[in-house]
Amino acid sequence: MATLTSRPSVDIRLLRKRLVGNRLLNRVVVAVVLIVLFCAVFGPLIAPKSITTSNIRDALRAPSLSHWFGTDDQGRDVFWRVVAGARESVLSAILIVAVYSVIGTIIASVASVGGRVVDETLMRITDAAMAIPTLIFGLGFAAALGPGLRSAIIALSVTGWPVTARLLRSIIQETSTMPYVEGARVLGVSRLDVLRRHVLPNSLDVLIVKWAADIGSTILVISSLSFVGVGSQPPSPEWGAMVTEGQGYIASAWWATLWPGIAIAIATVAFALLGDVVQTRLSQGKKR
Amino acid sequence: MKQVLVYLARRLFTSVVTLLVLTLIIFTMVKVIPGDEAHVAAGISATPAQVQAMRIHLGLNRPWPVQYLEFLGRLGHGDLGTSIVSQNSIASGIRQVLPETIQLVLVAMLIMIVIALPTAIISALRRDRATDSALRMGVVLSSGLPIFWLALVLQYLLSTRLGWFPISGALGPHVTVPRATGLTLVDALISGKLGALVDGAYHLVLPGFVLALPFTGQLYRTLRTDMIGVLDQEYIDAARAKGVSGATLVWRHLLPNAAGSAITVIGATFGMMIGAAVLVESVFGLNGIGEYLTNAVANSDRFAVVGAVLVIGVVVVASSFVVDVVQLIRDPRLRAGQLAS
Repeated sequence: MATLTSRPSVDIRLLRKRLVGNRLLNRVVVAVVLIVLFCAVFGPLIAPKSITTSNIRDALRAPSLSHWFGTDDQGRDVFWRVVAGARESVLSAILIVAVYSVIGTIIASVASVGGRVVDETLMRITDAAMAIPTLIFGLGFAAALGPGLRSAIIALSVTGWPVTARLLRSIIQETSTMPYVEGARVLGVSRLDVLRRHVLPNSLDVLIVKWAADIGSTILVISSLSFVGVGSQPPSPEWGAMVTEGQGYIASAWWATLWPGIAIAIATVAFALLGDVVQTRLSQGKKR
Repeated sequence: MKQVLVYLARRLFTSVVTLLVLTLIIFTMVKVIPGDEAHVAAGISATPAQVQAMRIHLGLNRPWPVQYLEFLGRLGHGDLGTSIVSQNSIASGIRQVLPETIQLVLVAMLIMIVIALPTAIISALRRDRATDSALRMGVVLSSGLPIFWLALVLQYLLSTRLGWFPISGALGPHVTVPRATGLTLVDALISGKLGALVDGAYHLVLPGFVLALPFTGQLYRTLRTDMIGVLDQEYIDAARAKGVSGATLVWRHLLPNAAGSAITVIGATFGMMIGAAVLVESVFGLNGIGEYLTNAVANSDRFAVVGAVLVIGVVVVASSFVVDVVQLIRDPRLRAGQLAS
């Protein structure tokens, strides 16, 4: 850093404020993620049974103390539907990311140990698959499988791997040139063993950060698929399906559309930021 | 010069290979998905004999590799098959609607740049101050907003309730433009209908903004990081010491040096926006390829779905080729670097 600058280079007070501020933000992020996960696992169990049955007498009630988020056109409580809906939106996102990460890891591993022709072929396939936007690829696939959450999960699991594969392969290439990896090769450890024992474990921290953020973006894509009609179908309380249902009567009950959308946004942002939190923790761990 | 052409030829070649693989993926997708194409094409009420006739008509009784080559051959002639629902050519159906989507995406990219550029400059110049932190927080939050929800909420709030923007459609009820390019704004311009041009642009403001907002964050972050990197250079300190400040600093030093990665991000956004346009078009009643695809999905119009997915893939591959060429023309360092390798 040059000394010609007129700015004060380090402002201790500002620095301390930022560090504390960041730590607070990190705690909020982790807390929100835990709340979302809690809702995903226990939401449907603690929510009242009435969230899937219609009760027209209570329809379209504005938010109040008895219905915090109001009620929808069937008289169902929007708050409890959002809580219960976390299961479909969030757990399926976690499942999808888990499956495509495994596929991506396998493809990247095969590409890096399989020799030049295999590598080139797999990467061309990856590039081509990346050319189709996730939403469109998922939409085409899910449409063919028929509407429903199951189709959406299969479609996104099967089509989501290219970015992971590309990223992991470049990390593997980078790690492979590290002295300890070359050392292991010289000692006669096979390519596959080097990959399994040394390269993959050392590539994991980048991937963990990506997975966290991926869960966030997958929640978005799942809800988008519901919106275009190929994902979860009403009366499911999946957040995207709730927004879709609510749009028909947004003029008389905006709350039925507003809250599930905010839930999607909060969950997406929380998981995306969780990636940053994990990254900070990992780099701190390395320093120690 | 010759080396530049060689590079371009090589880049074009990989694009073509990518496209071929893309067709192979989509062809495989059609084949492995359960359900008999001939059955679908012949219609629900077809007799077994009709289904068999359709199977022979479509060439489905031949081995897969032959079918794939025939599929490629048809694609080479721009033939994407016939819609099961409307009985119209899928290629001409998509040609009708694609310009509308491209126009929407271009408008959204413009809006994205208009938002990201000034905010990134402010953030970089006032790094780590309150303004910067607030902008960064805003960007994080905006990137998590579901597009379809944002579209519904803003449409309700700004159009239905406040009446600031038209609710839906590409043009007002009594406005028409003769179709030449399919891009409404361009058509209005070349036919000299300035009223229609303004009307068309006005109709695109809200959809464009909705499509732009979730993607603005990435461009903002890239620009901010790059500009901060430039600001940390010693020559900036030297320039400041010489009395260079404000606009000159931004125009002469920040923008040119941050442009490289920004163009890459903008280019990548193009493809993602084409995908996300599906969500915006259906809310704002714009008749683009997204709307075409959603309708095809709703009608189980299998070949139309395949056609639309394929065309979107082609557009994305083409755009990434264009971005690379733009980078090559723009940045002499890159040209030298690539030619050296």
